[in-house]
Amino acid sequence: MNIKQALETQNAYMAGEYDVAVVGAGHAGCEAAAACANLGLKTVLFTLHLDSLANLPCNPSIGGTAKGQLVREIDALGGVMGKIADKCCIQMRMLNRSKGPAVYSPRAQMDRSKYSVAMKCYLEKLPDLDIRQAHITDLLTSDDDKKSVVGVMTESRAVYSASAVVICSGTYMESRTIRGEVVCLTGPDGLPRSIGLSASLASAGIPMLRFKTGTPVRVNSGKIDFSVMTRQDGETDVPPFSFDNEMNGIGVPEEQVPCWSVWTTPETREIISSNMDRSPLYSGVITGIGPRYCPSIEDKFMRFQDKERHQIFVEPMGEETNEMYLQGFSTSLPEEVQIRMVRSLPGLSEAVIQRSAYAIEYDLVDPLSLLPTLESKIVEGLYTAGQINGSSGYEEAAAQGIIAGINAALKVKGEEQIVLNRSDAYIGVLIDDLVTKGTSEPYRMMTSRAEYRLFLRQDNADKRLTPIGKKVGLISDERYEKYIKKQEDVEKETLRLRQTYIAPTKELEEILVSAGTTLPQSGISLAELLKRPQVTYELIAPVDGKREPLPVAVTKEVETILKYEGYLKLEKEKIEKFAQLERRLLPSDINYESISGLRLEARQKLNSIRPLNIGQASRISGVSPADISVLLVYMETLKRKDKED
Amino acid sequence: MDLCELDNRPFCACSTPSGTAGIAVIRLSGEGSSLIADKCIKIVRAYDESVKVCSQMPGYTACYARFEDPADGRLIDNVIVMHFVAPHSYTGDEMFEISCHGGSAVKQEILSVLESNGARPAGRGEFTKRAFINGKLDLAEAEAVMDVINADSARALDAANSQIHGDLSSKLDMYEKKLYEALALIEMIVEFPEHDDTPENTDKITEICRKAVSGLDSLIRSYSKGRMLTERMKIVLCGKPNSGKSTLLNAIAGFDRAIVTDTPGTTRDTLELQADIASIPVTVVDTAGLRDTSDEIEEMGIRRAVTALSEADLVFYLIAPDEDVSSVEENLRDMDPNKTKAVFTKSDEGDNPHKKEIEELIRAHGINDFVEISAKSGLNMDLLEQEVKKTYEAAGGLLAENILIMSKRHADALTSASDKLNSAIEAVEGGLGVDIASSVIRSALDDLGAITGKTVSAELADTIFSRFCIGK
Repeated sequence: MNIKQALETQNAYMAGEYDVAVVGAGHAGCEAAAACANLGLKTVLFTLHLDSLANLPCNPSIGGTAKGQLVREIDALGGVMGKIADKCCIQMRMLNRSKGPAVYSPRAQMDRSKYSVAMKCYLEKLPDLDIRQAHITDLLTSDDDKKSVVGVMTESRAVYSASAVVICSGTYMESRTIRGEVVCLTGPDGLPRSIGLSASLASAGIPMLRFKTGTPVRVNSGKIDFSVMTRQDGETDVPPFSFDNEMNGIGVPEEQVPCWSVWTTPETREIISSNMDRSPLYSGVITGIGPRYCPSIEDKFMRFQDKERHQIFVEPMGEETNEMYLQGFSTSLPEEVQIRMVRSLPGLSEAVIQRSAYAIEYDLVDPLSLLPTLESKIVEGLYTAGQINGSSGYEEAAAQGIIAGINAALKVKGEEQIVLNRSDAYIGVLIDDLVTKGTSEPYRMMTSRAEYRLFLRQDNADKRLTPIGKKVGLISDERYEKYIKKQEDVEKETLRLRQTYIAPTKELEEILVSAGTTLPQSGISLAELLKRPQVTYELIAPVDGKREPLPVAVTKEVETILKYEGYLKLEKEKIEKFAQLERRLLPSDINYESISGLRLEARQKLNSIRPLNIGQASRISGVSPADISVLLVYMETLKRKDKED
Repeated sequence: MDLCELDNRPFCACSTPSGTAGIAVIRLSGEGSSLIADKCIKIVRAYDESVKVCSQMPGYTACYARFEDPADGRLIDNVIVMHFVAPHSYTGDEMFEISCHGGSAVKQEILSVLESNGARPAGRGEFTKRAFINGKLDLAEAEAVMDVINADSARALDAANSQIHGDLSSKLDMYEKKLYEALALIEMIVEFPEHDDTPENTDKITEICRKAVSGLDSLIRSYSKGRMLTERMKIVLCGKPNSGKSTLLNAIAGFDRAIVTDTPGTTRDTLELQADIASIPVTVVDTAGLRDTSDEIEEMGIRRAVTALSEADLVFYLIAPDEDVSSVEENLRDMDPNKTKAVFTKSDEGDNPHKKEIEELIRAHGINDFVEISAKSGLNMDLLEQEVKKTYEAAGGLLAENILIMSKRHADALTSASDKLNSAIEAVEGGLGVDIASSVIRSALDDLGAITGKTVSAELADTIFSRFCIGK
């Protein structure tokens, strides 16, 4: 349907003209809308329900392994999530402290309602952004051979024109929630669902998929006996998510709320196994594909039959509510069974459920139909981000949201769009995985998906991405100056430690021996000393007289650079090899069917995915190294032919 | 002919060695082979009598036929033709094997007729390249085939064959699987830090790395043996100046290659000679005498001698009748007892007065083989031959149960992988963190993948194909 046809439908009216329309105001939509508006584009953001903007319908936390890195990266690019999360943090922890700097992962518990309100307030103040509660049912496109986006239409027949549209529909499209045999036609958290938009996308020729995910029960803390649970407190020595806050000395809150953990009992197991026939997954009510990394509790018992028990975390939903979230207790068993399951847990025998757990099925776009810019290959000017692209998680959604927003804005401005590489950022890994390999289940970011994680650390996200954010226009001059200052400090301090030698004195010996290492034979540079696993920057402060006070963000980075120097160098070599393949661009008009050496499967996959370069081609499943060799030979031939002509 | 061009025409070559033999086999492969075959080959008798032309032959069947020049119908040879239907052939493309009589004129004529009817001459390794591109071989196998093409002795062929059949690949597969297991353990630890079933214990990770290192190291050690078989066995003659090295070399060569004089230190450089001893291809290296010297040029020669010693497969340590005990003691320090044989030379000039003492010294150093020769009179020269044969066969014997690494690229990749795994162990045990270990193990896996062809790298593909592109 084009604009003219839309306006011809009954009761239709022209409601507004925008550069960019963002459909859906979850974590992806909010980032996309903020990016567009901050880049000066006239933007409209639609949401099904304004009070649920930036909702956290599942766990009340942001960050965690790989996800914490994503939040830092979003912030480094000039995104919003980190700042809002810092504001609403009620507990902060740094996971993986003992496992090396590459996998340090910040995680914060959120005050859920505060988060939603804070994000709404922030967006409402952006001068170029209009926010509208509306149900978008149609994508409007041009009639050209190559379709392009022209606008959207609401259920109430309001027509909005837009040069670019970013759809971030989360789990709302044609969703249904399921508890045992009971199926409800709602979105998550009992909110209204999106009807019609999925069909509109499909009729534009976009391939659609259907996934499933789920969420656990929430209980009132009033009747919980915490004395039988293990208490888990937050940490105050963790940097905030936002570099702005970090550089301005705004840390995480001193007063933090604890989380708790318990183990399932044999009774829990018994209740689950005797009710498995009522699970919609096993009875066949659910056909969508669920995430392996976030399995329901019944899934865990079925798949790991030798495990007697599983751990459940009890997390507060906010400071002004008694509601507690049971992490690890996601289920789609009937409500009545859920009550018994919860009451079988230690300390929860009297607990009252406030919201029951459910599984949810929803429509999404096959991410293989996307370009690495997150623009559709089928409809020009259409971008998608978040769960609609097959991902799972708030941070994954926000990460795609900011990229989709930036690229939609650049597209409208007629500027070159950005693609982050796998060696630039977790965001690059996330998007490349989705658009190159596709996914058969909700995709969760994990550190192991990144090949170069010694480089993709949470502490250097600014170094990797802030220059890109600055170039795009999302980083203010003031913040960029601070960033430059930090980089200079890091460089200067690294050099100083390399050039400062100390003698093997008695004082040094005492320090080293107490840390479990030994005194060197002769003079040694502080940098060399830091290479020892037992030695930290803090430890050698007493013998480092010329040290000037520097922000922790600087000293931590310096320490990491020096301590892991050799390994970082090795990884840098790998990145260079990777870049070589990434630099070998594949012509967009290449006809893979005509390359005789390629196997049939490779020809089909390459023709449909149309990778931008040899590197991306090599990551397509079904394309073997031998196929890549054939492609390399083929490209060489093209090059030689060009030379001859 | 540049093989890097994607020339889709069928190609042909003689697949049996050059020279005259009873029969020769000519291969014709590629899409469109049957068109050429139908033109040049007239079936006289096929297993299935209804088959009249080559293109109709079922796969893996043969026929008896006349090979003719279609230009004038002239008979060139009576041949047996075997048909392979794609993808069930060595290259994966359609292929014919034409067995003809072995004279070189016949072979040449058949090839030229095929070429004037649309086939092009195959480049070096091109059948293998097609097999690789068609997914019939992985990289390790393809390279092994290149080694077959290059190898000229039967034993090397055996070793290369075992790699064609994937022994090396399957062994590396096994290590890869194990290392992925270690990675999975690390990922568990890192990814789900708060989970109950997350192992905190890293012993299993280091254990897997240790086992892989020891396996890889034994493969690396086999490279010297593998090299002996594909290239030439390297025999080094060493000893004090004027101990008769050049005389022995000349006896082997049968002509005066080295200048033989009575002045100690005449051979200032290492001299090399290629010869066959007991029909084993060898390179004999005659080194400068081992001794301290103030002469600069000679000192260089001595340094080269020490290098030659380290690269040798077999060392003959020559001891002349006038050699004294102290110089033997000194020279022994440079000798690897595992590959050194002691040789008392110039036995025609009488026994060394300290022979007993010298023998004891040598035994104490771990060398148990002694030979007494006279290159001039030819005494016991056959015993030296026996020693060469023994060393060669010992390497060959390893073949029966072991895999030999025959390519330097493989040896380098394995060495790099082994080093990295050692540093992964260090990182875990030294408390640097499992994330470091994971990064390094991944690099090691990339190294192994470069052998099995599981890792794509532009560099690798270029290297391999440049080898395929040598041309004829």
